Amino acid sequence: MMFVLAMRSVRQRPGRFAATLLSAFLGAAIIMTFNSMHDTAGAPGVDSVSAETLSTAAGVVGGYGTLLVFFAVASTLTVNVRQRSAEIELLRCSGATPAQIKRMVVGEAVAVALVGALLAIGPAMLGGRVLLDVFQDSGQVAESVDHTFGPIALYSGLDITVLAAAGAAFLAVRRVTTGRRRSRERGRTFLLRGSLALGGLSICATFVLSSTDAALMAPPAYGAILLSVGLALLSPRLLRALLGRLPLTGPSGYLAVRGLRVRVAQLSGVLVPLTLFIGMATATLQMQAVENDAIDAAGVPKSVDAKNLETLNLTVVGIIVVFSCIMLVNSLYAATTYRRKEFGQQRLAGATPGQVLGTVGIESLILTVTGVLFGTGAALAGIVSFTTVRTDAVLPDEGLGIWLGVVAVGAAATMGTSLLTAWRVLRTPPITTVALAA
Amino acid sequence: MFRRTGTERTGRTDRTDRRVQDHGTGAAEPALRLVKVSKTYGSDDSAVTALDEVTLSLASGTFTAVMGPSGSGKSTLLQCAAGLDRPDSGIVMVDGAEMTGGTEAELTKFRRNRIGFVFQQYNLLDTLTVAQNTVLPLKLARRRVHRGRVRETLTAVGLGDRLGHRPDQLSGGQRQRVAIARALVTEPSVIFADEPTGALDTRSARDVLRLLQDAVRVHGRTVVMVTHDPVAASYADSVLFLADGRLVGEMRRPTVDAVAERLAHVGDDVMAGA
Repeated sequence: MMFVLAMRSVRQRPGRFAATLLSAFLGAAIIMTFNSMHDTAGAPGVDSVSAETLSTAAGVVGGYGTLLVFFAVASTLTVNVRQRSAEIELLRCSGATPAQIKRMVVGEAVAVALVGALLAIGPAMLGGRVLLDVFQDSGQVAESVDHTFGPIALYSGLDITVLAAAGAAFLAVRRVTTGRRRSRERGRTFLLRGSLALGGLSICATFVLSSTDAALMAPPAYGAILLSVGLALLSPRLLRALLGRLPLTGPSGYLAVRGLRVRVAQLSGVLVPLTLFIGMATATLQMQAVENDAIDAAGVPKSVDAKNLETLNLTVVGIIVVFSCIMLVNSLYAATTYRRKEFGQQRLAGATPGQVLGTVGIESLILTVTGVLFGTGAALAGIVSFTTVRTDAVLPDEGLGIWLGVVAVGAAATMGTSLLTAWRVLRTPPITTVALAA
Repeated sequence: MFRRTGTERTGRTDRTDRRVQDHGTGAAEPALRLVKVSKTYGSDDSAVTALDEVTLSLASGTFTAVMGPSGSGKSTLLQCAAGLDRPDSGIVMVDGAEMTGGTEAELTKFRRNRIGFVFQQYNLLDTLTVAQNTVLPLKLARRRVHRGRVRETLTAVGLGDRLGHRPDQLSGGQRQRVAIARALVTEPSVIFADEPTGALDTRSARDVLRLLQDAVRVHGRTVVMVTHDPVAASYADSVLFLADGRLVGEMRRPTVDAVAERLAHVGDDVMAGA
């Protein structure tokens, strides 16, 4: 019964599932593309060096991919479920049990994820071929190796995407159907402390390795990721304390500060992807730049391992950038649309459209600065530890180019999404938006 | 007091500054004047005429209820008169100033200096406390906030001890009283109330209606209230009846029974009585 309802709701309102579908599609495409390297490596007649390169790439990126699909699908589904709280409430009032609602939401998620994964097969086959070409062009894999898209790619892609979606949906709907607050707050505190502690440990582990160790980049990179997540979860608490002291006068500032202070608990949905994006992208790209310089300085040609590492780093950064952006844009879009009633009320109280946009702008600016600050902090921890061990310096001498580029992308995504969405919402007369959401 | 114009309009054209007239005598400029205001929704064959050349004039310091069956255009009338919707044709004047179809920002500035609102669904901001909600219109207009006066106003509506509460910690009646305080604090020429008691129990409704009466009698404001409830309408000085987008009658010193009786036959006794 609930499955029929789930299918019907997917068919009736396909737009609502666009973000989930996109995350599932991209996630499945990435997982299948890289896992097809496992298939390729396993084919008969592949030499051991090529096989190792291929398997490493598949292992590392495949692992990341799984995590990211989970987070991205979870983020889009949480938003989706929250937007539909009225519909879910209605179902509950009509006699649907929590288990039935859970089945419906999980059913929808699985259906959407399956469609996304099936759609991803074609692009993943092409992507795998391109990826193999890249490896062959750089000499990491022998020219004789042919691309194989086999069962490992296909089943891992489908299974991981569908399972991640089901798990994410389960978590998202549990928050709606059961008494939420407490366990969630506790879980978040646990996650916060855990990621900060592990991140710190990971950074410290860098100093145990020697400057020529092949895996030298891994501990600071993981450290930067974990610290980004931890700091992002911590930032709403710090922001709450700081908000009262901001020198913001004027109507828009007044509303922005008071609005943020109340919504501070919900901000992690935006701050985590933003901080992760800034921290991860800056740390990885900057460390790769230091590594390249160090190899150049040593005057030896790049080894296959070094090239592998670079390819992997850039791929991982690329994937994380794309997924963080999806999560960021989706969360911001949903959060801003969700506030249409609030905007209408502000306008009925006498706010001009410009003042409302100003409020949204100031809020996004505060969020951007927070994300950039903590993301940079996390990245710096990784970069400094890596640079100290790899070279004689403490800080890399490349300048701020990479950081500025990353910050520009993050700021543009944050400010752009919020302001554009708010601008669209503001085109509806306030009396209509207030009535719509009521 | 209230009179329908169109036949006997005394066309004063000098525009008095509203601040000069604030606690005015009610003799000069009408607080609200509508001249041949029309509004049609939809287009071509599916068009619905919500307002059909409505002309009226309300003196300063009066409490008027607007009544009519569902679809009679009373909400449209309120929204056009309050600058929340734009009429297709006709003139709306608040306190002698004409509301023009400028940009949304211009319209907002016009509204926030001259008009206060009380809605059925309160429309308070959940992110702000009672006190912050009350001063929001002043903040938005960058006008000076007199803390003492705000406290006084909130005490007058019975919420002097709830200044730091948020709307979701208040009952419906209390929220509506905050909304009234918010409408009073900017000292507007006209306060528009759209079914202000629609979501309240009878006791809270009575409190709210008394406060609206006080706004007129004590503070000298002008109140226009749209309602379908004869009890609510009986608190007003006069009642305007609307049917099919036209004014079809008025009643001074309304009583509950008389309003209910008239409402039952509104539409079939066009222009009778008054």
